[in-house]
Order: sequence, then C-alpha cells, then structure tokens
Amino acid sequence: MMKKNKSILLSIPYAIWMLVFTLIPLGVVAYYALTDPSTGEFTLQNIRDLGMFLPTLGISAAYAFVSALICLLLGYPMAYYIAHRTPVMQKILYMLVMLPMCMSFLLRTLAWVGLLESNGILNSLLGALHLKPITMIGTPGAVILGMVYNYLPYMILPLYAIIVKIDPRLIEAAEDLGCSGTQVFSKVILPLSMPGILSGITMVFVPAVSTFYISQKLGGTDTMLIGDIIERLFKSAGNPNLGAALSLVLMLVVFICTGVMNRFGGEEEGGVVV
Amino acid sequence: MKKANKLITVLIFIFLYIPMAVLIIGSFNTGKSLSHFEGFTLQQYAELFSDKDLLALLGNSLLISILATTIATAFGTFAAVGIHNLKPKMRKAVMSLTNIPMTNPDIVTGISLSLLFVFVGTGMLGNKQSLNFWTLLIAHITFSLPYVILNVMPKLQQMNPALQDAAMDLGCTPLHSFFKVTIHEIMPGIVSGAIMAFTMSLDDFVISYFVTGSDFVTLPVKIYSFTRKPIHPKVYAMFTLLFTLIFVLMVTMNLLQLRSDKRRHTRRTKAESRTMRIFKRVGAIACVMILLLGTVFLFVTTRNNKITLNIMNWGQNIADGSDDTLDIIAAFEAKYPHIQVNYSEYASNEELYSKLSNGGLVVDLIIPSDYMIARMINEDMLLPLNFSNIPDYKNVAETYKNQAYDPENKYSVPYTWGTVGIIYNSKYVSEEDVTGWELLWNEKYAKKILMFDNSRDAFGVAAYKLGIDVNTTDKEELQRCADELKKQQPLVQQYVMDQVYDKMIEGNAWIAPYYAGDAMMMMEENPDLRFYLPENQNFNLFIDAMCIPTCSEQPEAAELFINFMCDPEISGANMDYICYGSPITGATEYMDEYLAESEIIYPPEEVLSRGRSYSFLPGDITRFVEKLFMKVRLG
Repeated sequence: MMKKNKSILLSIPYAIWMLVFTLIPLGVVAYYALTDPSTGEFTLQNIRDLGMFLPTLGISAAYAFVSALICLLLGYPMAYYIAHRTPVMQKILYMLVMLPMCMSFLLRTLAWVGLLESNGILNSLLGALHLKPITMIGTPGAVILGMVYNYLPYMILPLYAIIVKIDPRLIEAAEDLGCSGTQVFSKVILPLSMPGILSGITMVFVPAVSTFYISQKLGGTDTMLIGDIIERLFKSAGNPNLGAALSLVLMLVVFICTGVMNRFGGEEEGGVVV
Repeated sequence: MKKANKLITVLIFIFLYIPMAVLIIGSFNTGKSLSHFEGFTLQQYAELFSDKDLLALLGNSLLISILATTIATAFGTFAAVGIHNLKPKMRKAVMSLTNIPMTNPDIVTGISLSLLFVFVGTGMLGNKQSLNFWTLLIAHITFSLPYVILNVMPKLQQMNPALQDAAMDLGCTPLHSFFKVTIHEIMPGIVSGAIMAFTMSLDDFVISYFVTGSDFVTLPVKIYSFTRKPIHPKVYAMFTLLFTLIFVLMVTMNLLQLRSDKRRHTRRTKAESRTMRIFKRVGAIACVMILLLGTVFLFVTTRNNKITLNIMNWGQNIADGSDDTLDIIAAFEAKYPHIQVNYSEYASNEELYSKLSNGGLVVDLIIPSDYMIARMINEDMLLPLNFSNIPDYKNVAETYKNQAYDPENKYSVPYTWGTVGIIYNSKYVSEEDVTGWELLWNEKYAKKILMFDNSRDAFGVAAYKLGIDVNTTDKEELQRCADELKKQQPLVQQYVMDQVYDKMIEGNAWIAPYYAGDAMMMMEENPDLRFYLPENQNFNLFIDAMCIPTCSEQPEAAELFINFMCDPEISGANMDYICYGSPITGATEYMDEYLAESEIIYPPEEVLSRGRSYSFLPGDITRFVEKLFMKVRLG
C-alpha cells in the first residue's frame, strides 16, 4: 500500500512537464492568434481573415482523406499477407516496412521529383519506348502519390499488429459454421481489425493534412495546402499571428476528425462484443 | 486471394524502395541530376568525407536524439509507473495530456513550442538567443515522451501485481522490487518505446524546423534548406551510407533476437540470462556512448573560445570555393583566426524579415535589398555601423552611396547590385515571343512558366508590365497588379525562389523572371538558356547591402567582415562566382574578363536608365500586398 501511494508521486513531474510544454504553448498560440502583428494589441482581425482559407482547409482534408483511403486499400492486403507468414519471415518483412521510415523523408520525396519531372526518369523511360511524355509533377495525383508513399508504413504497421493477434480458431469456427471466404472476412476478420484500421487512418490523416513539404515539392500552383499557408505565414509572409490563428483551426479540424472516427470505431467494436 | 495479396505486397515493396534506389544510384553519378545518369564515380564519397560541416550536422542529429531518447526513456518509464497507480479519473486526465502531442499535427506542435520559447525566453527573460540547443532538446524530449509512455503502460497492465507483492514479502524495499522485478517485466515495452522515440527524433524535420535557432542545426533541417536549391550529390552519398548502416543494424538486431529466441526454446533459463546479458551489454555500450558524446560535445563547446559570427545571406550569394573560385568565408577565417563564421541562408527578403521579427535568434550580419533595408531601419531592426571599423568604405563607388533607402549611409554598406529580367530556354521559346514582361503571360508556354515566390518581386513584375509605378501605395493600382497576377496563375508551373536553378537547368521549365547574376550562373550550366531585360518597359534595379541587425551580439566582428568585403580583390573574386556587379571601385580588375565585360552584369547606360528601384512601403501597405499575394497563390 505504501508503495502505491508513493509511486503516484512519480507521475507529478511528468504531468507538470506535459502541462508546461504542450498545454501552455497552445495558450501562447491562442494569445498570438488574438493579437495584432504590428501593434501587439488585442484584435479579432486574424479570426476574420481565416475565411479566405476555408476552401484550402477543405481541399487539404480531402487530399489527406483520399490518401488515407488509398493507404488502407493498399496496406490491408499487405499487412494481412505479412501477418500470415512464418515468424522469421514476419520479422524480415516488418523490418523492410520499418526501414524507409528511418530514412530522411525529405530526400525520399526529392527522389520522386526526379522520377516525375517532365524531363524526369519516368518520362525518359516512356521516351525510350516511343511513348508520349505525361505531365505528372504539379498535379494533384503527384501530391497524393507523395502522401501515400510517405505515410503507407504508418498504415501497415498498426494493421499488422492487430491482424497478427486475431485468433485463427475464430476463423476456423466461422468456417465450421458455414461461412464462405468473403463472409469470414466481412463478419470476422474485418470487424476484429477495426481498431488497427482506425489508428492507421489517423496516423496517415494527421501528418497528411498538415504537410507542406510534399505539396511544395510535388504539387503545382493549384495544390496549395493548409500546411503550406501556415509555413508561409510564419516563415516568409511575416504574419505569425494569422499563422497562429490558422494552426488553431487546423488543430481543431484534426481533433474533430479523429474524435468522430474514434467514436464511430467505438460503436463498431461494441457491435462485435454484442 | 493469397496470390493477389502476395502480388500487392511485392509491388508495394518495389514502390517503397524505388525512390531510395534512385538516391543510391544518384550517389554514384558524375552528374548532379537525379534524372540523368552520366557516369560512375566515387567522387561524391570523397567529397562527403572532406566536408566537415556535413559530418558535424550528422553528429548534431545523433547527439540530440540520443540525449532526448535517454532522458525521455528514463523519465517516461518512471512516469508510467506513477500513472499506472493513479486513480482511474486522474489517469485518464494525464493520458489525454499525453495524447496531445500524438494527435496534434507536428506543425502545430512546432509552432506552439517555438512561440512559447520566444515568448518566455526573449519576451520575459530577455535572452536574445531563446531558440537554442536546450530548447531543441526540450522539444525532442516532449514529443518522444508519449512514445515511451504508450509502450510501457500496456506492459505494466499485463504484469501480475502479485509479483511485486511477492518480492516485497521476501524483503525487498519498493525501490528494490522495482529494479529487481518490475523493470524486467516491462523491459520489452521500454526498449520498443526507446526505439520509436529514437527513430522519431532522428528523422524529425517539422518540429525542429520551427524550433531551431541559429546556434545548433540538425541534419533534416539542413537537408530541407539543401532541397530548396541545387543539391550537392554528396548528400546522396551520405543517404546511401546511412541506409547501409541502418540496414546492417536492423539485420544484426533481428538475427541476435532470432538466435536468442531459438536458445530460449532449448535451454530456457540459460538463454534468458543470455538475453539479459545482451540487454545489459547493449545498455552499457549505450551509456558509454552517451558519456563519450556528451564529453566530446562539452569539449568542443568549451575548448573553442573563438567568436562566432552569424552571417545570413541569400542562397548562392557568396563564392564558396567551388569551380576554382575563392572560398570567401575560409579566407576571412584565415585572416581573422579568432573568428568562426556560422553561415546560413534565406531565399527572399521577406523570409529574412520573418526570421528576424519572429525572434529567438542571434544574427550578426545580413545582406537584404534596398527596400527591405528601408523597412528594417523604419522598424528599428538595424544597428548604426561604426565606420571607424570599416576604413575600406572609401572603396565603395560614389554611385552606390546616398541611396534613398539609407540616405545618410548610416546602416548599410553595398554588397552587390543587379537587375531583374527574364531567363528563358532558347530551345523551346521562339525568339519572336521574346519582347517584354508579356512573355510571362504567354499562353503558348502554359505550365512552363515560373514566377517569383515573394510578394514584392511578383508585384514588381506585374507593375512593370502594366506601366504602374512599382512603389505605388494606391490600393486600386495594387489591386490591378494582383488581378494581372491572378490572370497569370493558371499558366504558372510553380512559384519559386532558389528552386529556379534545378527547374531551368534541367529544362523542366522554360521561362522565369529572375535576378541577372543567378541567371548567369544558370547559363553556365545550360548553354541553351538566355537572359534579357525588357526592351521598352521598366525593370528592377537593386542594391543588396550588408547590415547589422539589432539582435547581433558581435557587431565588431561583423564590421570586420564588412570591411573585408570592401577589398576590391575580395569583392572581385566574389563576383566571379555570384556574377553580379560589384559596387567596389577597382573590383572589375580582379574579375574574369568575360564577366567584367558582360552586358548582362554591366548593362549599357541607355538600358540602365530604364531600371527602377523599389523603395520603402509603409507597414499597412506591405501587409495589404502580402494579403493580395496570398490570394493570388490560393488561386
């Protein structure tokens, strides 16, 4: 009993650290969002100016959502395949998925620029086959490709972690009870992997909706995303106050999206238990 | 079904690894481009190992992630034990605090921390350099902690509480039982948490990008600034080496684990003690490494009692020793051995202004353009120069003194002057279209046109095209410029600054407005490129000048550097690389002949008479223009 009471104290420095370095900074952001960039006086101008970014916010969310969906469609079969290998093979494949995450994502994205440019590697290959070059860089497709490429491992890893834990006896039981292959998948495997799907979508959606490097490198003039604007306001447009207001909005969007998803997921899980 | 899964898996692995293959091949390329392989060489590796700065950056990254991981792992493990024993309500509250950095986009975390550090450090404590090594470390610890907590907590929940009670019944103190029992049970969680924290910290770009000051930069942040201009292939060589290293590390770790797994099956107790021994050995090695690195770091920082001179300059705007030019910084450091230069870059005047006004850094010397100098003087961002430390100011030609931006010559000493015109690829652009600024609006070349990514230059181009005074403060006229830029937006491939180099040299874009000197540098790389100043329209004539910002801590060292640059021989050698006009009398004598006689660098008098300079615009107009430009960019 003594031990328990005392060990609680260990959480206090941590709670203070997190308060000081996560919650209070958000307060400072709010303070900046409500002050004028030149005079430092209280103003609501920044909030009013946010209106012009609403379409971009919608576009960014759409890009991120589409990327998350593609990641899911590609990542699920892959995670499923990996989870059903021998333990040794699983380790090797898992490592191969992890490895790209350890390497500089800036340089890997830059490599895509070399691949997709109008005089790039892919178009040179097309030229060698006497085919017409395709405009790839600067299109929305290139931005989505960049997002899928960079964040696919974030989808595969949680999916794998969940699928590998599914008890094979459940599948056998379903088969014994007369389920067809698709039924086994839709009634047993898919519901059981729901937590993995949700955390995968969150882990892809959050960095994708706020990225600025991918759209700067692979996008064109009409693929400006919300992250680009925030970066611009802070780093070159000299208006960190408007940037602060916009990043609060971005945060809100992310919290609402993930919140809705988790709620939806929670119900699904409940359904399974019942 | 299974076959389809297998096929998808193979295809995805190819998809994941192709870009890395491109980079690895690029590291053996004699050419600079990733798209065209010109021949095999190991030259890039030799250059990598002779580049101490690049290796130091790697050291910086390792140092910060090892420190952050160690601290976060120890701190997080203890905290997790505490949180585990909290009452459910409290536990939920602390865990939602933990979730904030996990669900918050990195960009918001980075911004919030940087604002906090500047707000408290500079605003309340009066520390000029409030963004420094320590704040970067705090940021890394903060975003690493949740990974440790979230990995350790489940292990604590799985642990049988009777184990601890048993240990205490057998006479262990709580502390003892923690180290003898608990820690072994939760070890896998601690290890995986530490590995995740380390990976995240080592490759973190977004948060570090916002929190980094001028004294300590990590590799990813520097790579970002590399990727905004022509990148040197030795960076690919470093990527290749790191890739190999991490690959080997992962394979050995997996092999070790597999071996111990096998042993466990046969001889359980012995094998377990063996894994423990491996763990302990790894732990011991890690501890030694940390101590070693820590002492090296302390040694380096304390031993070096040189003065650090923080210079911020435009990209590609100083001779750096490549292509047989003089390495200006090295020459300066050789002449003044007590000074060490810390050099960094910006892509536009506006970026420089943002960096300085956001605060938190120490910068000793900057080289902004005329109109920005006026704005900075107006906002008290510059220190008056002490000209007794700059005796060679007498070498500055009279033409470049008494300019409108600094009428009393108090704050600035000219560095270069030049023009803004249009660079185009003669292979694709027909000569009859080459007339004036209209070329940038020519629909024939849609999506092959680049445009300035800064408001002042972009509005300048539009104003010259429309025949509007570039220094207008009339909101209606500015709106007309914005409308003109909006018309151009669908034709533009990308809005760029230093990225113009790669795009134009590789022929991926054909037309761009840019600064004459940079155009000359691009023309040296691609002979198809041409440059012209519009025939019957105005164009921008600018002066970039050296100034000392108020956040400087070494104004005297900065004045030494300014004086150094007023030497005709040095200035001439500098111009050989950056291809601009020198404001220093006699510098042309030290320049390459073809540059000194180039009409691009030194246009004839009748052309120069069409040049116009930007002058100071009041703050509210600047902000109005910035907002209009943002709308143009949004489409």
